[in-house]
This record gives sequence, C-alpha cells and structure tokens, in this order.
Amino acid sequence: MKGLRQTGPLSLLYAFMDARRWCPSSEEVLPRRERPIGLYVLETGGCEGCFMEIESLKGSAFALEQAGFVCVSDPADADWLLLTGAVTRVCAEMVDRVWRAMPPGRSLIAVGACAVDGGPFPASYATLGGLQALTPVRRAIPGCPPAPQEILRALQELARI
Amino acid sequence: MRSMGRIIRSGERVALSHYHLDPAQWSDMLCVPGATLPLISCWADDARAYVLLLEGDRPILASTVVEDRRYLAPSSRFAGAEWGERVSYDLYGVEAMEARGNGTPALDEGGWTSTWPLSSRPGPASGGLRPLGGSHFLRPEQTGLSGPLDLSFEVLKGKVRAVDVCAGGAHRGVVSRLLGKTPEEAMVLVARMTAGGFVAHPLAFARAVAQARGQVPGPGVRDVWMILLEIERMSLHLFDMARTARGMDAELLATHCDHAREAIAQACAEQGVSRRLMDTVNCGGFREGLEIVPLAQAVHAAMQPSLAALEELHRVFASRLNGFAVLDVRLAERFAVGGVTGRASGRSMDMRRRETGMRLEALRATGSSSGDARARDGLRLAEIRDSLKLMERILGSIGLDDDEPAPDSTDEGIGVAEGARGDVWHWVRLKNGRIENLHVRDPGVSVLPVLGAMLQGCPMERVPAALGSIGLSPAGIAL
Ligand code: SF4
Repeated sequence: MKGLRQTGPLSLLYAFMDARRWCPSSEEVLPRRERPIGLYVLETGGCEGCFMEIESLKGSAFALEQAGFVCVSDPADADWLLLTGAVTRVCAEMVDRVWRAMPPGRSLIAVGACAVDGGPFPASYATLGGLQALTPVRRAIPGCPPAPQEILRALQELARI
Repeated sequence: MRSMGRIIRSGERVALSHYHLDPAQWSDMLCVPGATLPLISCWADDARAYVLLLEGDRPILASTVVEDRRYLAPSSRFAGAEWGERVSYDLYGVEAMEARGNGTPALDEGGWTSTWPLSSRPGPASGGLRPLGGSHFLRPEQTGLSGPLDLSFEVLKGKVRAVDVCAGGAHRGVVSRLLGKTPEEAMVLVARMTAGGFVAHPLAFARAVAQARGQVPGPGVRDVWMILLEIERMSLHLFDMARTARGMDAELLATHCDHAREAIAQACAEQGVSRRLMDTVNCGGFREGLEIVPLAQAVHAAMQPSLAALEELHRVFASRLNGFAVLDVRLAERFAVGGVTGRASGRSMDMRRRETGMRLEALRATGSSSGDARARDGLRLAEIRDSLKLMERILGSIGLDDDEPAPDSTDEGIGVAEGARGDVWHWVRLKNGRIENLHVRDPGVSVLPVLGAMLQGCPMERVPAALGSIGLSPAGIAL
C-alpha cells in the first residue's frame, strides 16, 4: 500500500490499516506470566531525555505490552519503578512517597546515567547525584539517554532474573 | 520623544547589544510613558540586574547595579519579569523592590544545602520542604509533563481559576555548574539542559559564544545548524502532538505521530548521529564526521510519506481540541510568548526569519490564530511541512550564501535559536576564555505568566492534557 493519499472516510480506513501494519512484534517473547509486570515511570530532575525515550517505548512504535509489561499510572499497581533523572533534593520526598505506595515485591530500576549517579549532574546544593545517594543501585540501564530498544531489551533481561 | 529604547541606549554600551544603566536611568526605563518593549527575560545576580528586551526583532540588554542586595523591580513595568525576580532571589538572595506578585519561591522549595546558593554570602540550609500555598495541587508526577513541576491551583466548582508554579523539583543548578568552564567544556552540559532542545540550546549557546569571541560561523556551518534545528523541530512537534492526541483519546493520530517520530530517530541513528541529535552542535560548528546531506535526505525520506496521513487525521480529530487551553493574542504579545504557542494565537514572531542565510520562501506556515490546542496542532503540522521544504532548499544551495561581517570581540554575546517550543536565548560573558557569567531563557518561561489564563475554566482532570498541548519542559524552565 502506498502512503495515504485519499481524503475523507477512506483515508481513515487506510490510517487504521497502517496502524495495524505497524503493530510491532516483540523480538523475544518472555515466558508467559500470569500477569504483565507493571511499570511506573518517575522523572526526578534530569534533562528529560531518558523519560521521553521511555515515553516513546510506551507508545505504539514498540511492543512493550507484548513483551510482558504494562505501564501504570498509580504506584499501587506497579511492580517496578523506573526512575530517570539525577534525583534533586526536592524530588527525594516524591521518590520515597511513590516507593512506599508500591506493593511488596517491588523493584527499583535506574534508567540512564543521571539516575545511577547523577551523570552530568553530580551531587550539588540542589541534587543528590542519582539514586546511589539513597540506596545501592542494583538494577540499572546505562545510557544518556538509552534508546527505547535498549531499555526494552534491558527490561526483558531483568525480567528473566 | 523619549522612548524605552532611547533611554537604554543613553547608558554605557559595553557589548554589541548591552547597555549599563545607572540607577536613575534604570528607573527612567521602568517609568517612561509610551510603549513597553517586549521582555524576553529578567534576571539578577549579586552584582547586577538585567532585562533582555526585543526591539523589533533585535535583542537589547539593559543592566544596572544591585546595591545592598536590592534593585528596582523590572516587574513594576514588565509583568513577565516576576518569575526571573523570584528565581534571582532564590539563587542569590537579591531582592526586587516594588515587585509584583506574592514573592513565593520559584525554585527553592526547601531541602537545598544552603539558601541563596549562588550568592557570595549564602545562608544556612532552610531545612525540610516547605508546603506550597493554594487549595488544590497536582503532584509533580501527575502533571503529565516530562519533568517534575509543582502546580497549585485555586479552583471553583472543579474548574481552574488561578495557577501558581514552583519548579524546584527540576532544578539541577545547571548555571552554577557552567561558571568557570570554557565554552567547549560547558557544551556537554548545555546539550543536556532539556530534551526539549538538544539542538536549540547548544545552538543558542554557540551563537552567543561566537558573538562574544567576535566570530561569525561560515555559511556551511550555518546551514548545518539550520538543518539540525529543523529535524529537531519535526521530532518534537510529533512528540507534542502525540501527547495532545492521547490526552484527547485520539489514539490513532498518536500512533501515527509515534511512528513518524521513531522513523526520524532511526534515520538519525542510521546516519551515525544520536537519535535525538544530542551532541551534534559544538561551539565552532558541528560534530566531527557529521554528514549533513545524507542525514537530511534520510530524515526527509522518513518523514515526508507520513505527512498526508497526519494532516488527514488531524482534520478528523481536531474538533476535540476546539477552544481548549486558549491563549489570547494580547497576552501572547504582552508576555512575548513565542514558538507554536505564541504563533497559534496570532503573535507572529519567529526568530528564524532574522537569520542570515535563511531561505525565507520556505517559511510559509500560517493557520488559525484562535490560540487553542487545535490551532497549535494545526501549526505544528504546517511547520513540519515547512521544515521539509526548508531542508530541500538548503540542500539545493548548501554553504553557498555570503559570509556576514564579524562583530568586534567584546567577550560578551547573545545567541538565539528558534527551537520547536519557541525562542531559546543564551547570554554569556567570558573572562580569560572561561564563562564568567551566563543566563539561559528557555521558551517555557514565557508561558508561565499566561498559564493561569490558559487553564482558566479547565476542569482539573483535563489539566495534564492542556499542559501537553502547550509543550512545557520543567527541565528547561528550572535548569
Ligand atoms: S542520563 Fe542523559 S539523557 Fe538521561 S536524563 Fe540524564 S542527561 Fe538526560
């Protein structure tokens, strides 16, 4: 099918068909779980680059749900907290609040250089310099920013552990 | 007759567009009858207070001394200066006398290791976080924005009446980290000020540094910069459109935006640059090894086929955006709101038009000036079409334009780049080749004073969708 040329209702039909054609298939399918892993994403004061790449991953160009993940808007529904940004001192309270709202069995994953150790924004009067100031960082996805494909691959790896 | 511009020029000229005013001249500038020049930005440090204004499409910078930590408030004349005064108080402890507004913190929500951290005499830490005023709040993680922004509201019958903003959660102390660095060292961080301007911020900075050094980039560099900026514009417009569409349950449109944006990112990656063009601009020009012609061709080929579908889908869903988050043109003019938000309301300022070497015939985007989310998205699409056209024109005559004459080196420069979300401004002063002083104005700052008016009457649950359609970056606002 060529690009969408028609106008009117027919073009809408083509747009639907295009969207279906794009339905991405996850490269690797995880072993079936009873339910998908709930992801809650929190930006804590970086340049927003990592957060926006995760937003791309959540969008329709990637197969996040087919890979066994679902993004949630309430921390109470989340299994994993994906944290981006350098953790400003003001945001520390928010991180704590969101973390506490998550159910037991939760995991914390630092996405991007800022979230691990502040990256280009190490500790200062306003920043803590990443999660490492609050807790040992056991799960991290490196990059500045990591591409959505890299984030997805890393999440799949982590899900296998 | 005395005009604001004339009073400023009666001061001592210390750089291409910068005039030192004594306190009497400063006061005259703030009181002179007649037209008020549009304010781009206001800031102050321990030593001086500054206002960056627009005279026609040219910047003019006025500054005066700060005495006993005080200066006469620019907000007494320029309503949009209030945010800059609050930021300056939080960072330096300098007070704007006769200021408008309630003087609540812009950045310092408590929790910092000191008060007035950039002052030569910082105060002790203020302890824990301070509660914000207001009766209703959106927690920073609930705004739908890409970064933390504290918003408090006055609400009547579930609808917004007034908004107050505090951006402390996103403040990383970027400016303090840049002082004392060479511009080349600083560029790594400048490229990470906000993902809403991975190209625009470095470009404005590079232009400011070039002016400070008395240099002018050659036509080849200029053309590469223009192309990079247009690629970023298309990508960010698609991002903002996708977010707006999701806020309105127009998932099909969002899907097409996602795919077009990803196609651009892939094209960039395949051409050996980062997906979002991070670290492509440097002070002298652009990243070594960057092949602009194949990059531009690849991005053009990736984007062009999607445009017709996007335009059609926008037409289908646009009625959902009618009358949503409206900016009145008078407010846009008064607060110099730029970018798509300003232009969609009828303020026609586009700083690309004053650039030497710009292929003006490519910039044709026009559309509704109703100031609402529909007009913004319509304009985004028209601007994507223009970006493709502009890239074609540049590729047709790349690097061929005449050189411009270089200004004298004054160690001080102002640079601007018309980013996807508006005009990004950098002012830099060098000393012995290092950054002695710096100010950055992200376009999001000009939206803050009109945010209340734009959200007025909006049901609380729709505020995130409204914010998404405006395209704000907390990281850029707070730095
Ligand atoms: S790691 Fe890099 S891209 Fe991610 S938030 Fe930090 S500076 Fe931005």
